[in-house]
Amino acid sequence: MRLGLITKAALLLAVLPAFGFNVLVHAQRGGRGGPGAAPTPRASAPFDLAGQWVSLITEDWRHRQFTPPKGDYAALPLSPGGRKLADSWDPARDEAAGEQCRAYGAAGLLRLPTRIRIAWQDDTTLKLEADAGTQTRMFYFGAPQGSGGDWQGLSSATWHAPRAPFPGRGGGAASGGSLKVVTTRMKPGYLRKNGVPYGANAVLTEYFDRFDVPGGDSLLVITSELVDTENLLTPYWTSQQFKREDGKTGWNPTPCAAR
Amino acid sequence: MKSVQASICAGLTLLCVTVSGQAPQIPTAIPGQAPPVDLSGYWSPVLHEDLMERGAGSELADYGGFPLNEAGRLWALSYDPSRVTLRHHQCEAYLAPYQMRALGNFRIWEEREEHTQRLVAIHVWAQTTEGHRVIWMDGRPHPPAWAPHTFRGFSTGQFVGSALVVRTTHMKNGALRRGNGVPQSDQATLIEYFVRHDDHLTDVTVVTDPVFLSEPIVRSNDFYRQPVDPGAWLYACDDGEQILDRAKDDVPHYPFGKQPFAREFAARYKLPLASSLLGGVTMYPELAARLRTVNDAEANALFAPARGRAAETSTGVDPEPHDGNIHIWPVRENVYMLVGDGGNIVVQTGDQGAFVVDTGAGTLSGKVIAAIRSLTNQPIQFIANTNFRPEHTGGNAALGAAGQDPSLPGSFFFVQSPRAVTGFFDDPLKHATMMAHANVQVRMQAAGAPADAVPADTYLEDRRRKFHNGDAIELFFQPNAVTDGDSLVYFRRADVIVAGDIFTTTQYPVIDVKTGGSVQGLIAALNNILDRTVYRHQGEGGTYIVPGHGYLADEHEVVEYRDMVVIVRDRVKALIGAGASLQQVKAARVTADYDTQFGANTGAWTTDMFVEAVYTSLRTATAKR
Repeated sequence: MRLGLITKAALLLAVLPAFGFNVLVHAQRGGRGGPGAAPTPRASAPFDLAGQWVSLITEDWRHRQFTPPKGDYAALPLSPGGRKLADSWDPARDEAAGEQCRAYGAAGLLRLPTRIRIAWQDDTTLKLEADAGTQTRMFYFGAPQGSGGDWQGLSSATWHAPRAPFPGRGGGAASGGSLKVVTTRMKPGYLRKNGVPYGANAVLTEYFDRFDVPGGDSLLVITSELVDTENLLTPYWTSQQFKREDGKTGWNPTPCAAR
Repeated sequence: MKSVQASICAGLTLLCVTVSGQAPQIPTAIPGQAPPVDLSGYWSPVLHEDLMERGAGSELADYGGFPLNEAGRLWALSYDPSRVTLRHHQCEAYLAPYQMRALGNFRIWEEREEHTQRLVAIHVWAQTTEGHRVIWMDGRPHPPAWAPHTFRGFSTGQFVGSALVVRTTHMKNGALRRGNGVPQSDQATLIEYFVRHDDHLTDVTVVTDPVFLSEPIVRSNDFYRQPVDPGAWLYACDDGEQILDRAKDDVPHYPFGKQPFAREFAARYKLPLASSLLGGVTMYPELAARLRTVNDAEANALFAPARGRAAETSTGVDPEPHDGNIHIWPVRENVYMLVGDGGNIVVQTGDQGAFVVDTGAGTLSGKVIAAIRSLTNQPIQFIANTNFRPEHTGGNAALGAAGQDPSLPGSFFFVQSPRAVTGFFDDPLKHATMMAHANVQVRMQAAGAPADAVPADTYLEDRRRKFHNGDAIELFFQPNAVTDGDSLVYFRRADVIVAGDIFTTTQYPVIDVKTGGSVQGLIAALNNILDRTVYRHQGEGGTYIVPGHGYLADEHEVVEYRDMVVIVRDRVKALIGAGASLQQVKAARVTADYDTQFGANTGAWTTDMFVEAVYTSLRTATAKR
C-alpha cells in the first residue's frame, strides 16, 4: 500500500512528539521552583557531588606531590613567552610579594594533593573548598557573582550532556551528564608549583563526573582544558581523580606555600 | 499527560533525562542496549600527563602514585628491563590498562547484529601493538576461571547515563606501568568509564589487583577526536636473537637489595629515598607527613623483603570449580580440556578412539567418562599420563575400564603375546591402552597401585610418538623435572601441549626431590615447552599449553613461570654460595615477590617446601660435581 502525501505528513506530525516531546516534558518538570517552573540546578543535578573528596595523585606524580625543579616543564605545551616567564620563577620573590598562592589558583588547585569539600550554597551555587592553600571556588549556575581577578576567578556552571544541535530527528540529549564549569578572569598563577604560568586571559573549562565503582569507591573525575594563548601553544588537557570520604577525618587546611 | 510521558519513556529511553540526587549505579546489563552517546571514530591520546612513562618509558624505581604492596614493590625492584631482550618477551602486547595510555591513535566502532541492529560489541583498536579490544554489549557472561587469559582480557560493557562502563577480567600478567617493572597480575580486574565531552573523550581506569596492589589504582586517559583516519594501524613484531650464546636459563633480574639504579630516581630529583616506594600513601596528601617519619634505615629496608614477616599466601582465584561437576573447555580443533577432578584432563577425539591425557584424581571418574562420551561416540582408546601423581592418574582404572583399544585384537602381536606371556595384552577390548614414561609405571607399582591403573605401554628415553585421530602426538620425556617420570604431551596439528605438573598457574612447582625432581630439570622442561611454542600475535595465542592445574595458557604464562623458577633458583644459589643454611635461605624470603601469586603456608605444598626443594636439588647437584 502506498501512502499519499497528506497521509505521510499526518504520520510525521504524529511521530514528531515522540522524538522531541519527552525532552520538553522533562525540562518543564516541576523542581523546587514550584509547579510549571523549571527545576533549579540543584534539583536537576544528575548526580550528587556533595561531600568530601581526596585527590588520588596517580599521574604526573613527581610534579604534583613535590615542587619540581626550575625548568622541568615536561609535557607542557609552553609557548616561548610562557617558557620565559617560567624560567624567571623565584619563590622567594613570590613570598616577598605575598603571592605564595600562585600555584593554588583555579587552573592549578585541583592538581595539588588536597581534599576538597563540595556543597550547595543555595539552589544555584556550588561551593568547592580545598584544604590545600585553604581556597574556595564558587560555581554559579546563571550569572556569576563578583568581578573576578582573584586566584579562583569567575566560574559559570551548567549541567552538560551530549546533545544534538537540532531536536526532532531522533537522538537528542543523552541521559546523565556532567557538571561543566567555565572559569575566566583568574589572577595570573601557576599550573605547576615551579612557576609554569597561566595568564589573566586564560579560560579554564572543567567537566565534573561521578562514578560509583561496583562494590567500591565513589570517584569524582575532573577533566579540564586550559586555553591560554599567551603562555601555551595548545590547549592543556588533564584529568584529575578524587575519591569520596566520609568527611570525618583528613581535612587539614593549610596555608599556601610557594615552594 | 503523565501516562503519555511514561509510555514515551518506556519506548524511547534515550530521551528520558533521569533527574535524581542519587549517584549512578551499574544496572544489570541490557543486551544490545542502544548507546546513548556515540564513541565511534578516530581518537588521539592527549599526552599532557605521564609523558615519561608513555614516551621513553618510566624511570627505574619510580613507583610513586602506585599502591604497590610488598610483593609488587619487590617484583618491580627485581625487574631488569633487559628482560625484554629474551625472545619470548620481545613482542608482548600491552595489558588493557596500559594499552589505553599508549602513544598511538585509537579507532572505535560499533558491531551491530544485521537484522535487528542491536548493539553486539564496541571495538577499540590501538595502533600500538595492534591492540584490539572487544567490549561485548550483548549481555554475555564472563568466561570461567579456567578460560585463557589475554593481554586485553575479556570485556563487557553497559551504558550508565552517558558513560560507557566496562568490566575486564582474564588479563595476563604484565606491566601496569611501562618500562620499569611495576607489575599487574593475572588476577587483576579493570573497571573503566568512558565519558565523552563533545570532542574530548576520557577513559577512567580502575585497576584492582589483589596480588600486587594494596588498593585500587585510578587513572584517566584523555583523547581528542580526529576528523580523518590517521592511518598506520599495524604494528609488526617478530622476535629474534638479540644476545647471542645466552644460556636458556639466563633471565635478567636484580637480586633483592642490589638493584644498582634503584636510588638514582630519588637522587636525580632530590626526593627522599623512600618517597616512591611507600605504596598506597604515595597517592594521598598524607605523603609529605609520612615521609617526615621515615628514617634512613626504614628507607633502605624497602629495597628487600621485610625480615621476620610470615610468608604471604596466594590471593588468586582457584580455577578449580569445586562444584562436583566436570566442565569441558574446547581448546582447539578436536582437543578439549576437562576441569573439575583435581588435575586437568585433556581429551582428543576423532574417527578413532579418544586419546586422553591424565585422568584426574578419580573422584569424579563417572562424570569424566560421561563428559568424554558427550564429545565422541568412540571409546577411550589411549590414556597417557604426564606423571605418576594421584591427581593425574587417579582415574586411570575407571577410564581405562570404560575404554577399549580396537587396534590390538587380531594383530600379530596380540595373537602371539597373550597375557600369560606379556602380562599386557589381556582383553584389549575391555580396556584402553595406557602409556607413560617407564618411571611412572615403576613408581605406581612401588606405591601398590592396582594393575589396571598402571600404564603398560611405556618408553624410556626422549619420546614416544603416535599418529592418532589425524594428528601427530608426541610424548617428550622431561628428565628430573618435578619427578623422574614427567612427559609433555604434544598434539602437533592442534598445536596443544599438555604440561602436567611441570607447569601450573596456581602454585609453586611441586618439585619432589625424593622421586627424582630437581629445579634444574624443571627449568629445562619449561624451556623445552618454550622451544615448541609459536605465538599467534604479539606474544599471545598460538600454541596452547594445558597446565597440570589452573587455566588454559599460552607461552606467555609459561615464560613468566619459567622466569619465576629461574629467579628463585638464582637467589637460592647465591645464598648457598654465601654459605647460607636452609633455615637462612627460608628466612631470606626468596619468594617474597611471588608469594601473593603462588604461595601457601598450609596444605600439601607450601612455599617452604618449594624453597627447600630448590635448595636441596641445588645442594645435591653441587655435591654430585
